[in-house]
Amino acid sequence: MLTALVLVPVVGALVVALVPNNRKEVHLPLGIALAAMPLAMAGYLFWVFAPEPGFQFAVDVPWYEPWGLSWSLGIDGISMPMVVLTAVLVPIALGASGSISVRTKEFIVYTLLLEAGMFGAFMARDLFLFFVFFEVILVPMYFIIGIWGGERRIYASMKFFIYTAFGSALLLAAIIGLAAMHTSEFGTTSFALADLTNVSMSGGTEKWFFAAFALAFAIKVPLFPLHTWLPDAHVEAPTAGSILLAGVLLKLGTYGLMRFNLSLFPQASVDAVEVLGILAVIGIIYGAVVAIVQPDLKKLVAYTSVSHLGFIVLGTFALTSGSLQGAVIQNVNHGLTTGALFLLVGLLYDRRHTKKISDFGGLQKVTPIFAGFFLFMIFASIGLPGLNGFVGEFLILIGSYATVPVLAIVAAFGVLLAAVYFLWAYERVFTGEPDREENRAIKDLSIKEIGLLAPLAILVLILGLYPNVLLDKIAPSTEATLDHVEAATGYVTPAPGRLSDVFVVGEAGE
Amino acid sequence: MTTPEISWLAIAPELVLALGAAVVLLVEVQWKPAIRVLGWVVAVTLFVALGLTVWQWVSASDSLASGDVSALRAFSDMILMDGFAIFGRAALLVVTILGVAAGWQFFRGLGRRGAEALALVLLAAAGFSIMVASNNLIMLFLGLEVGSISFYVLAGFSRESSKSDEAAIKYFLMGSFASAIFVYGVALAYAGTRQLTILGLGEYFDDFVVSSPAVILIGIGLMVVGLGFKVSAAPFHSWAPDVYQGAPSGVVGFMAAVAKIAGFAALARILITAFPSFDNSFLPVIAGIAIISMLLGSTLALVQGDIRRMLAYSGVAHAGFIMTGVVGGSTSGVLFYVVVYAVQLVGAFAVVAVVSGPSSSGSELSSYRGLSRRSPLLSGSLTVLLLGMAGLPVTAGFVAKFAVFSDAWANGYQWLVVIAVLTSVMALAFYVRIIVIMYMEDDDSEKIAVPNTVKWVLGAAVAATIIWGVLPASLLDLAADAFPL
Repeated sequence: MLTALVLVPVVGALVVALVPNNRKEVHLPLGIALAAMPLAMAGYLFWVFAPEPGFQFAVDVPWYEPWGLSWSLGIDGISMPMVVLTAVLVPIALGASGSISVRTKEFIVYTLLLEAGMFGAFMARDLFLFFVFFEVILVPMYFIIGIWGGERRIYASMKFFIYTAFGSALLLAAIIGLAAMHTSEFGTTSFALADLTNVSMSGGTEKWFFAAFALAFAIKVPLFPLHTWLPDAHVEAPTAGSILLAGVLLKLGTYGLMRFNLSLFPQASVDAVEVLGILAVIGIIYGAVVAIVQPDLKKLVAYTSVSHLGFIVLGTFALTSGSLQGAVIQNVNHGLTTGALFLLVGLLYDRRHTKKISDFGGLQKVTPIFAGFFLFMIFASIGLPGLNGFVGEFLILIGSYATVPVLAIVAAFGVLLAAVYFLWAYERVFTGEPDREENRAIKDLSIKEIGLLAPLAILVLILGLYPNVLLDKIAPSTEATLDHVEAATGYVTPAPGRLSDVFVVGEAGE
Repeated sequence: MTTPEISWLAIAPELVLALGAAVVLLVEVQWKPAIRVLGWVVAVTLFVALGLTVWQWVSASDSLASGDVSALRAFSDMILMDGFAIFGRAALLVVTILGVAAGWQFFRGLGRRGAEALALVLLAAAGFSIMVASNNLIMLFLGLEVGSISFYVLAGFSRESSKSDEAAIKYFLMGSFASAIFVYGVALAYAGTRQLTILGLGEYFDDFVVSSPAVILIGIGLMVVGLGFKVSAAPFHSWAPDVYQGAPSGVVGFMAAVAKIAGFAALARILITAFPSFDNSFLPVIAGIAIISMLLGSTLALVQGDIRRMLAYSGVAHAGFIMTGVVGGSTSGVLFYVVVYAVQLVGAFAVVAVVSGPSSSGSELSSYRGLSRRSPLLSGSLTVLLLGMAGLPVTAGFVAKFAVFSDAWANGYQWLVVIAVLTSVMALAFYVRIIVIMYMEDDDSEKIAVPNTVKWVLGAAVAATIIWGVLPASLLDLAADAFPL
């Protein structure tokens, strides 16, 4: 099943590539239809996913035995939401690409390959395999930005590529090193995550390995001060590229931190709580402050990503039940809301060919439905109770307060700043009188565009009103991660950081 | 004393190659046939030689299985028929086949002189193939010279271009100098041990402890310098950019690839088999050469405006990466890497030969602008090959890098691996630069027609890059079996 999930988009890409060039009109519908298949599969996975710790639907096929490589996939409560998120966003991103008129076929091929890579990265249980997917993702994304991007697309795509490749280079060295240590300790070479967690190492070595992994993922997140590639990449990327970049690719960083850093290097993770927490909080505040003054709507949304992902990193390293769950669910929330915001900005750009906030004004009167969706997504992103953003940020802040109270308090100001930058931007773009001639001619959302946004809005609402749909499936895995960290290091989560502190013992885990 | 039994099989491929070269020349003199006929002669020669190599592999595996190792040592220990030699020889032959096909436009364009060029290609293949299989260092030197001298001539084959002359002279002067240094190294090693064979040296150091190894160490050093020149490792690389740029592009890919395979095979065999007891003395030096090559190659490749010079400097960087594998002390990683790289290089130069013309004309990066529109086949293949050289996953280049880096890490050179992964990011930058030019800049020049032979070469190179990347076992198992005696 999971293997099929990776292969379906690859086969889909081949199918699209084989369609003749002169049948332009079928390319996009075919691409969307092909992207709907993984969506159906992911939906099924979500449905049957049991709320238990450990990997489900595991696949294990030896790949090259002398090196201990295996095609080993599986999903647990941390990766399952990411897989579903990817499956949801790809068809929407493709649907939003109607404005791409040149080389449409190639675009769809790259997007589908990107999807396969993302699935693989989230499901890999073998570090070699993970690295393969992690790195392969760069290529299609690079082409998507570089070919269909804005004016400075080549600069932006190059920066994106070099930045992330630099991070993954050290990750590769660290993976090689871990495997070598496993070989010398146990006599067999293995890259399986489960095997490598058993490798014993001295504190100093662990710190170095932790640093290599953390650097690779921190660049991807991006964590302050490694974020400078992000605004460039986002501003230049086409709409679909931005949606997938913000919605899924950045999550590889936060996912990697939680999946690999916490489980492979528990002691170093515990030691790094303050450093990474402080960087995350700087990112939250810095991203928000910079977002306030952006004159470009897309750049504004890009900087809000820096801010929001800071919350996720803070939640990951706060190491409490609440903060970890919050981090996972916030991954999903941010993907949905920011994906939708980029989609909206992209639709606006298609209509008006500008992203400058000062070029707009009074759009509320011209395009009420558009403004409605925009406001809805802004509220979700700010964290209005009843919408999904609230659930994630609330869990993260409450959870972090138990471990790093000062940081949690400072981070809470980030929520406040979010209201400032978003509402001020909304005010400048949508309220008032449409005083410019061009703005009065802007069309409101078409049925098709509403069709793209509505699923996102519905998911935002469901996760906001009844987050347990997802949280119940996440919790066992985050609890297991936390148990692992506690068992390996003697770290004790400060009360009331664990679920068992809050609920009657025996109820939470069963 | 009995006459030693002659095992013809051990040198059968070289015999066929030399015979083929002679046939090509004689047929040309006698009948002056169309160049296509000579092409068929060359093809048959190469495929027969390859068939014999496969036969050798089977026979060698049988001997190893039955424990009869002596059958693998032919001609009084001059030539070895171990897996290492056979694997290297097969790689050389495959690359030669690809090289001739890729440069077919060049050979055809030479007219009556095509026969000479084809004969030289076969002689070069024979020479380097002997070099890979030699146990005796003098024999190895002879093979090296037969191959190198053929190359000097080939480099100057575009007579109308002064660049080609310059390349040939430069290559010849520096190359002879390097060969002399290599021989001097051999002489010193002999002076210190009275051993000329690689296996003999290994056994000598098993039996004796050398109290003052200075002479031997200098000998090893000189041999490394000589071979380092052939594989264009920094700081012995200065000939490479000019030769890559000046020599006809129809043959330069083949020349570079073959020289890399043979040079590294010889280097790995000598260092790993003959002098393992001096590990601690020369491995740091090799590691140093590796670092200089990687850094210098990647840095200078970044600023080149000509794709051939860029490939030359990237070749320097690759020499560094392969040296990392030599430091790792395992032959399988080195063999895998060098074969993968050689195939990719021949493929890349096949594209260059089509886009920039097969002789010695310039090949500015700007002539690749918008190649994705002018010929999706060429740009797509070149992209895969360049990403393969850059070592991105799903290509064989990644597996190769992974193999040599793992070996080096396991052998205690962690710092070298860290430097190597960082330089491979730099390397990524200049490969990607070409991809940018091909895909993201537009140009309205006319479409490019691709000759069929080039299509075949590109198909093979791209398929190899991807198949060995996804299912590395197909080549890695062979490379692992191809250990030296």
